[in-house]
Amino acid sequence: MAILEIRDVSKNFGGLAALGDVNLTIEEGTIHSLIGPNGAGKSTLLNVLVGLLEPDVGTVLFKGEPVLGKAPHEINQMGLARVFQTPAIFDDMSVLENVAIAAYAARDGGYAFNVFETPASAKPCIDLAKETLNDVGLFEQRKVIASHLSRGDKRRLEMALCLARKPDMLLLDEPTAGMARADTENTIKLLQRISDKGGITMVIVEHDMNVVFSLSNYISVLAQGRIIAEGVPDEIKGHPKVIEAYLGGETEE
Amino acid sequence: MISDNASFYKKDILPVTTFAVVLLTMPFWFRYIGGYSGLDTKIVIWIIFAIGFDILLGYMGFLSFGHAAFFGTSAYFTGLMLLHYSNNILPAITVGVISAIIMAFIIGFLTLKRTGIYFSILTLAFGEMLHSMVLSTLQDWTGGDNGLTGLPTPMLFDIKMQGDNVFYLTVIVAIVMYYIARRIIGSPFGLMLKAIKSNQVRLEYTGVHVARYKLMGFVISAVYAGVAGALMIVYEPYVASEFMGWHLSGQVVIMTVLGGVGTLFGPMLGAAFMLYFENVVSVYLGAQWLLVLGAIFMATVIFLPGGFVEAGSRIKKALTGGGK
Repeated sequence: MAILEIRDVSKNFGGLAALGDVNLTIEEGTIHSLIGPNGAGKSTLLNVLVGLLEPDVGTVLFKGEPVLGKAPHEINQMGLARVFQTPAIFDDMSVLENVAIAAYAARDGGYAFNVFETPASAKPCIDLAKETLNDVGLFEQRKVIASHLSRGDKRRLEMALCLARKPDMLLLDEPTAGMARADTENTIKLLQRISDKGGITMVIVEHDMNVVFSLSNYISVLAQGRIIAEGVPDEIKGHPKVIEAYLGGETEE
Repeated sequence: MISDNASFYKKDILPVTTFAVVLLTMPFWFRYIGGYSGLDTKIVIWIIFAIGFDILLGYMGFLSFGHAAFFGTSAYFTGLMLLHYSNNILPAITVGVISAIIMAFIIGFLTLKRTGIYFSILTLAFGEMLHSMVLSTLQDWTGGDNGLTGLPTPMLFDIKMQGDNVFYLTVIVAIVMYYIARRIIGSPFGLMLKAIKSNQVRLEYTGVHVARYKLMGFVISAVYAGVAGALMIVYEPYVASEFMGWHLSGQVVIMTVLGGVGTLFGPMLGAAFMLYFENVVSVYLGAQWLLVLGAIFMATVIFLPGGFVEAGSRIKKALTGGGK
């Protein structure tokens, strides 16, 4: 079943067509990668999905509901969480506090004036936060201030932040960018585990083909704002258009 | 910080009790360090103002240069109530604080869309707009430059609100408001305020309605300013036009920074220090006292960005940590 449907989405910046007539369907429970050369429009597409950018035309349906025009926090509350390219976390707060924020947000639906919260009523959220940290392997570091974590661990923390919200779909913008090989391997394993365990649909924008081919169930290739090829990893590997887009050099910026 | 067993209550008992004991015994020890009756009341009022200001600046990370707007609005409405309605302070304070809350909703709604220096300038502009309204447009109501004079002696039903009575009233209010501030900071709501300071974008993408939290944080801060403004009129039944002015807004900024932003305790210390310095130490320094205060402020900002609280923790570290 389709969880996310992108219909005829176009976006121009000045005269430049960043996205032209993009149609994309993401099936529930899959790991779907978006690849393409620099400037192909991958990030623009992600920004449209989370409400950061409004496309010129087109519709985006998430679980059958329109996403466009909604505020980022509303889209998150619908179950669509985003992991940023540079880990976006609460730097000066402890690891546990980071995830607790997400747990409270999930429980309170975005806003609650709960200034007299009791320890007992907060406990389920704290427990959820700890459990999530355990899942991503950060439980031991829960009292560490987030900015002191390694880059790989920051990425993990950001994922925990997203997962504590129990989202239906996770958008990942280059989850392994700038990571050492060991960290990349760990991230692949982590993503695989999350997908297997929770059945969370993932959309991954990635440059590292190793990551793409070892994780994806399905791949869409973007070039110059258009989808030029789609298919399972084996179909994409030998696709002439894909090879042309990557090696032809026309679309490089 | 969240501890493993998330005990919100226990850690509040000691600081709040200490705070209460120090304030309640003030009439007995304050005069030995040069203080006088009346100054203690004023210090407690400013402490309330500073606590609220720290919730906004220290925790939420928004520097308002127009907090006199809330202090002043509340002061004027309290004064007007005492003058025209009843000399009972309960309705007067209630109306005063509510007026500050309404003002905070309006100003907050319009200014919180911006951050950093833009927010600061906007709040300053709003504060000065209100100040000039008080001086000109509304002078039939506010008494313009002369302020609101001729207020009756405030009463709490049959109790005359003068001297010690005012002092103990303000102390009780301060203790309650300090406790509430600690609870706010320790609650999930307070965690969201800290998260706003830390990373607004991430918070928005975590499904949190950031704008609402910001507005409520701003209003809470204004409630403290409003309570302080109202109590100031109970303490001295005269509304000065300076209560609306940028000078007062600046003072609370200096107190908070001097004491230590984001510590609650620091700004209270900063408020006490400023008033003590202005009223007691200045006598020995003569006309140069402002210069000395300026130098202290600069030295603090340059060498101790964490204010008095940082000085305290450094001394403690030096004493206990030894060679570390």
